[in-house]
Parts: sequence; structure tokens; C-alpha cells
Amino acid sequence: MNGRANTATPAAASWRRRIVESLLYGRSVDRARKAQARLGLAVLAFVLVYAIIALRLVLYAVAADTHSVRRGGSTDAVATARPDIIDRNGEILATDIKTPSLFAEPRRIIDPDEATELLAGVLPDLDSREVRDRLGSKRGFAWLKRDITPAQQQEVHHLGIPGIGFLAENKRVYPNGNELSHIIGHVNIDNQGIAGIEKWIDNRGLADLHRAGFGVDREQEPIRLGVDLRVQHALHDELVAARDKFKADAAAGIVFDVRTGEIVSMVSVPDYNPNNPREALEPSRINRLTTGVYEMGSTFKALTIAMALDSGKVTLNSSFDARGSLRYGHFNISDYHAQNRVLTVPEIFTYSSNVGAAKIALAQGVENHKAFLSKVGQLDRLRTELPESAEPIVPKHWGELNTVTIAFGHGLSVAPLQSVMGVAAIVNGGYLIPPTFLKRSQAEARAIAKRVVKPETSTAMRYLMRLNAEKGTATKADVKGFYVGGKTGTAEKVINGRYSKNRLMTDFMAVLPADDPRFLVLIMLDEPKPIPETHGFATSGWNAAPVAAKVISRIAPLLGLEPRFDLPTADHLILASAKEAR
Amino acid sequence: MMRFVHVIVVAALVVAAVDVYKIKFESTVRAEQVARLAAEIKREREAIAALRAEWALLDNPARIQALVQRHLALKMMDPTQIEHLDRLPERPPMPPAPSSDGIAAIIDTLEPDFPTGAAAAPASTTAGVMR
Repeated sequence: MNGRANTATPAAASWRRRIVESLLYGRSVDRARKAQARLGLAVLAFVLVYAIIALRLVLYAVAADTHSVRRGGSTDAVATARPDIIDRNGEILATDIKTPSLFAEPRRIIDPDEATELLAGVLPDLDSREVRDRLGSKRGFAWLKRDITPAQQQEVHHLGIPGIGFLAENKRVYPNGNELSHIIGHVNIDNQGIAGIEKWIDNRGLADLHRAGFGVDREQEPIRLGVDLRVQHALHDELVAARDKFKADAAAGIVFDVRTGEIVSMVSVPDYNPNNPREALEPSRINRLTTGVYEMGSTFKALTIAMALDSGKVTLNSSFDARGSLRYGHFNISDYHAQNRVLTVPEIFTYSSNVGAAKIALAQGVENHKAFLSKVGQLDRLRTELPESAEPIVPKHWGELNTVTIAFGHGLSVAPLQSVMGVAAIVNGGYLIPPTFLKRSQAEARAIAKRVVKPETSTAMRYLMRLNAEKGTATKADVKGFYVGGKTGTAEKVINGRYSKNRLMTDFMAVLPADDPRFLVLIMLDEPKPIPETHGFATSGWNAAPVAAKVISRIAPLLGLEPRFDLPTADHLILASAKEAR
Repeated sequence: MMRFVHVIVVAALVVAAVDVYKIKFESTVRAEQVARLAAEIKREREAIAALRAEWALLDNPARIQALVQRHLALKMMDPTQIEHLDRLPERPPMPPAPSSDGIAAIIDTLEPDFPTGAAAAPASTTAGVMR
């Protein structure tokens, strides 16, 4: 239409133009205003474009360079990063190191034979046939060797083979080897915790974090345990020596802070090396302290007597007839150190009289006995941070006979850690504090502690424990200077449903110092054999107690306990001061 | 008038473009620097972790104990060996250190009553030189 208008003669131009304009724009349109509006539109469009550009610039400046982050992430962290585990003094117990792993992209390999030859020169332990197969395949990715040394990485790098690369992977290392195996646990090849504290770390959210794709860097708060590496080493060293010396099946020990409930050290040998977790599968290497349950023997008398004293019906001056043996049904209960006379409560404790303890428990009644043991946490499963725990074996029908035997530690199997918690409660002033492997302050412990016995009962029990080390069955555990108190325990193991006379489980519970307890030390030996040095005896006083003495003399200085040599006997120090306080 | 404004606007445009380019260039350089430093920090951190792991390995009490038992005549500490500092007796007076100065030694033999403490030694040597 425009073409035709332009070819028209000039005379008719103005008339025609008006027609064309009216056709194009309509009759009543003001063109000047229209042009202005168009200009406005154009300005708006340009402003918009520039605004977008400006906004993008600001965004670029504010947001991090997302591109480079993605580039960095691609070359590492197949295995997830884990927080370090450190001991109470900050020593490293478990940490991650980055190790390079060698991989190939077979599709991009030009000459697989040459590449195999070159690699075999640098990594002699590589199976060259397998490598040749992998390189010759048409896959996009193949691992050649995981976890190589940085020096090897350098050498392979210098070979300059195309299609070969490295990925940095996190690898968990345990610098202390066997010593902390049962506490820390271990991880699998993908760095996921499968036992001990490692598993606990995963359970509290690390696993979810990883599944969501986070947590591959090292910026994680380390986990601080209450364990002391030096004490752990000393205990481990002594227990390994003791297991050797007494040819025991197993040896185990705990150092427990009675004020905070922290487990300062826990060892159960045989153990395993977490750097080589395959060993952990052997059943003999279980952690006997939390996953095993045992009849604790005479150490349970401490709980029996604490119950009697706490009831108020029995005092330290009460006496019980321990003549002869106690017949109950077709069971005959006799004493190992039989005195055959009327014994006072301290004598029952120091001579470790089964008959006496049984009579004390019977006088309290079955229900009270059961209630007390439940109160000090001996009848329920004890849960700690460790995922492994064992349920105590409690008699289904708890009759008088059960009370009689449980009074001296037979007929009720508990996890040793559990009995440590119970005894700690009766010596620390009466507070039951759930044990923990993490660091805990005294105030935190107070907040969760539960009072289970009176302070006076606790004082009396400390007196009895100390008396036992001065002139009872625990004299071999008395380390001069640390005012040790303790109770021995020897339990006959059940073999084929019968108590065996010569297969014993001995344990020793030491409290130090007895006048103001800070720590409880449990030493346990599974089937120690009599040796010439012990004159043919295999009971606790001859093996577990001296081991405890060795352990205590080594660990007490580490734990900040000061030796005091001029202390009076238990009668004066503990009993007299208690009377003054009252 | 309009031409003047146009010249100014065009000049401003050129200046702005140059400035933006400069800023862009600088920011690229900085971003590269940041990426490099971040990579370096990461590498250092990993090196620290590796070294700390190695330290813990070397520092392991079991290893130290084995080394001590093999190379030293040290024995396990006994509680009786621990004592408070304020309960220790006074330090006994140290015997005079044998002087390595030959002239001073000769002077000492000449003047046996002269105290040969460490503080007095320089005085005696100067005296010797003076003579």
C-alpha cells in the first residue's frame, strides 16, 4: 500500500497522504503524542535492560563464584570427612588424613600396554594383569589403587600418562592403635562409623549430613572424650602384662571419675587394632565391660552392706552369726575365709563372709533388696554413648535363695561398667551418676545425679573399703601414699550349668583416695591361673588386687593425685572426721 | 549547547566504560587470588592434619615406652619420689666449677683464700693481667 502511495503524482500527494495516514493510524490520532509515547516505551525498555544488567553485576559481586566451588569439589572426598576425636587433654585419638587414590579413565587411555608398564614401574605391588584389563576396558572410570603415598602420587604424575588421575579421599587413622579400640570403635572403607564412639557420632546426625551432601570438609568441631590417653596407656600396658602373667583368658579395667561419671579409661584385652577392623570380628575380642555380663562376686557385698547401713536397721557395730555354713534348700553356702564365729559388719566385709552377707540381705527382705539394687541401677540395661550394651541377667522369680546368692554377687549378672556405677554411687557421697565417655564437668554431673544413699552410709562404706585394704582381703592393693580402699571379688564361672571351682572370674574394685574419693578403679581377670608367685591361689586378692596396685601407682600421679604418707588409719581419719561433722 | 552536552555525555560514557572494565578486570584477578588462597589454605590444613596425625603416632605413649625400655635405664616412677616443692630441703651449696681459664687457675692456687665464685672470677683475671 505504501509503495503505491509513493509512486503517485506530487499534486495528489497531500490528499493521498491524508488518506493513507487515516488508513494507517486512524482519523483522530495525534501523531506527535504517539511518537512521545513510543519514545517513552523505548526508554523504559532500555532502563529495564540496564537494570537487569546492574542487578546481575551486583549478584555476581555478592554471591561467591559458584563455578570454582563446583570445580574444586569434583576432585575430592569420595569418603566422607569425620570430626577428629580427642582425649580430655586434646591429644588426637582419631583423625582424618587425605590420601590420594589413583584412578583411570580407560576410554581416554591411548596405549593401555605402555600405561600398565609405566605404572608397574612406580607401583610394584600393582597386579599388572588386572591393571591391563581395567585400562583396556571401555569404561569411563576405574579405580587402579586406593590410598597411595604422596611420593607415589608425584612419581605417577611425572609419568604423564593421559587418562590417569588422582582423587583425594579421607582416610580415618587411629594413631594409638589397639589401646582405645573398644572406646573409639572403627569405621568402614567409606568412613562411616560402625562401632564405638564412631558409630555414636554417625547416629547423632553426621550420617544424615553426609546423605544430604554436606560434611565433606574438615571444618567440624572435634569430639572431646573424657578419656585420658596416658591413663589409658598405663591401664592397657598393665592389663596386657597381667593377662600374660596370670595366663588369663581376658583382662579388663575401668578408671571412673566418681564425681563426674566420666570414664577416664576403659580397657578390655584382647582388643583389636581399629586401623585393621577385621580383627574386631573375632568373638574373643569383645568389650567385656559393656557388652559382657558377669556375676561380680564379692564386690557386690559392698552394695549389700550399703543397703543394710542405709536402711538404718544395721550399724557398723551390728553383728551377724557366721558360724558354720548356711544351708538353703540343697544349696550350701560357705565362707572362703571361714571364721566360724559371730562377725561384726566390718568383719563380714574384710573377711568377705558369704554367710554374713547373705544374712544381712535376708534381714532386709527380698523386696527391699530388689528395690535397692534397682535404685543403684543394677537391674536395668545401662546405656552409654557406645552403641553396644548388654542387659543384666536378672532372675525371673526372685526368691529368698536369689537374695542370698545375690548378696555375695552370684545369681545376678551385670555389665562390669554397671557395677562400677553402683559402687561409685555408694562411695561418692550417695550420688548415682550415669557414666559417660564424653567430657563432663562436676556441675553437669550434679544436675543429672540421683541421690541413692545417705552421705553417712557413703562415709561408712568408704571406711569399710579402706579398712579392707589395711587389714582385709585387699592388703595387696594398698599403694602407699594414695590411701586406697577396695573390695575383692571372686566369682566361680558357670560351666555347663554348674559353678566351677577352678575357673574363676576375679575382680577388684578400688577407691582412691578412700577419705575423699576421686576415682574408682575396676580390674577384672577372666580365668586367671594360679602361679608359683601366688602360692597356688587364683582368687582376686592374689591377682586382681596386686594388678590394681600397679595400675594405681602408675595412674594416680597422672590423675593429679598427690601422695600423702602421714595419714592415720581408717578408724581415725574417716570415722572420726565423720563424727566431728555430725 | 546541545553539542556541548553531547560531548560531555560521550566523554562520561567512555570514562565509565573504561572504569567498569578496570573494575571487572581487577575483580577477576582478585577472584582468582581468592580461589588460589582458598586452595592453598585447604592444602595447608590437610598438611597440618597429616602432620598432627603423624605427631600423634610418634607421640603415642606405647611407642615412647618401648623406646625408653630399649634405650634408657629409666624405671617406673614410685609414689615416694613425688614431693611438694616447699617441702624440699634447701639446695646444698654447689662446689665451685673448675675454671677453664688457665691463668685464673694459677691465681687461685696462689691465693687459696680468695673465693672463686662465678662473680669473683672476672675480678681475679683482671688482677692477673694487671700484675
